[in-house]
Amino acid sequence: MDKRTLHARLMVSGAISASLYLALYLYEREILETFTRTDGLYPALTVIAALVFSFAHGAFTGYFWEALGVTARQSKG
Amino acid sequence: MDSGAISFLDLSVINVVGLLVIGFVGGVVSGFIGSGGAFVLTPAMMTMGVPGIVAVASNMCHKFPKALVGAYKRHQYGQVDIKLGLTMAASAAVGVWVGTGVQRSIGAAYGEAGSNLYVSIAFVIVLTIVGGFVLFDALQIYRSARISVQERTSRLARWVQSVEIPGTMMHFKTANVRVSALFTLPLGFATGMLASMIAVGGFIGVPGMIYILGATSLVASATELVIAFVMGLGGTVFFAMHGLVDIRLALVLLAGSLFGVQLGAIGTTYVKPYVIKVVMAAIMLIVAVSRGLVIPVYLAQLGVIEVAASTSAWLEVASFWFLVLALCVGGFIIIGAMLRGHRAVALQARQQQMLQAK
Repeated sequence: MDKRTLHARLMVSGAISASLYLALYLYEREILETFTRTDGLYPALTVIAALVFSFAHGAFTGYFWEALGVTARQSKG
Repeated sequence: MDSGAISFLDLSVINVVGLLVIGFVGGVVSGFIGSGGAFVLTPAMMTMGVPGIVAVASNMCHKFPKALVGAYKRHQYGQVDIKLGLTMAASAAVGVWVGTGVQRSIGAAYGEAGSNLYVSIAFVIVLTIVGGFVLFDALQIYRSARISVQERTSRLARWVQSVEIPGTMMHFKTANVRVSALFTLPLGFATGMLASMIAVGGFIGVPGMIYILGATSLVASATELVIAFVMGLGGTVFFAMHGLVDIRLALVLLAGSLFGVQLGAIGTTYVKPYVIKVVMAAIMLIVAVSRGLVIPVYLAQLGVIEVAASTSAWLEVASFWFLVLALCVGGFIIIGAMLRGHRAVALQARQQQMLQAK
């Protein structure tokens, strides 16, 4: 991956991750109330939220280390 | 057990920063040795004022996506044996179920202090024996100058692999072992039992996969992430159905730990395999000391011995800081070994470039 593509991906995934965490900060109370409901399919929201955050933020952290030059050793694995 | 009577924590800036830092270091350790972090996160959250059950539930909810990202990363390096992970996870689930039942029975008979005493004694015995053995092995590898070569399969693992029980044999391709399911099942079960007690089944699972099944440290620690994912997901569903997960805590922890887990996973490609054993042993032995310190406190609560209130409080504080120390020592060894490995690779690349230029 060339540097321009890497930086573009870093910015996009960073923006998505930051937006998700901003929403968590702004709607903290509402989110907590909704996610602790035990009726219907509400418990599934917890798992879905954890997965969504892990994909968005996980992509960002991966590109972050790559942009810093911290990558796996090529000769192994 | 539901969230009706539970009060959730108001998140302050200090709490958020604390969770991010512990999450990051816990993530580094998890990405590297397959598990860890949970033993500090739960008591740390409880110190912040999070009710115990919410701390356990939220920790569990942050654990499964972290393990997923770590497992994916290490799968890219060819270190994960998915089949072995899923096989172990299936019996680990039964172990968690039985372990929780045992703990509940002890709690009903002897109260919370009895349950805590049982967990602490189990902690000290298991961690001292297994941690001591892993450290001994790591030191032997270091002294014998075999650190650069492939790990040797233990005598026990060679025997386990030689046992042929028709109808139960399983081949695990990445781990490159063929063993009977009658060995993987009790190992997974013990991993689950330990996970139900101390939230870190990997202290049994990883050494078990190395010394009993014959997997390498790299494959065992990477495969543990698959087990952690399955158990974490199951636990999260269970706790979410009772409304006990504080999703805010879980996601804040995840913010730090996803940086850490990727760094830890990358670290495995730079270090000698025995470093995984050193980190694991160091953490296990320091955690054993931590739990050993609070045994007199629980014995006093049960009326077996007398301990002054100030001494009990001091022992509990010391125990917590020993847990933090365990995590920091692990993180320090990993990052130090990774930097040394990174420097050695860079130097090698420079030398090759110079040779080619000549």
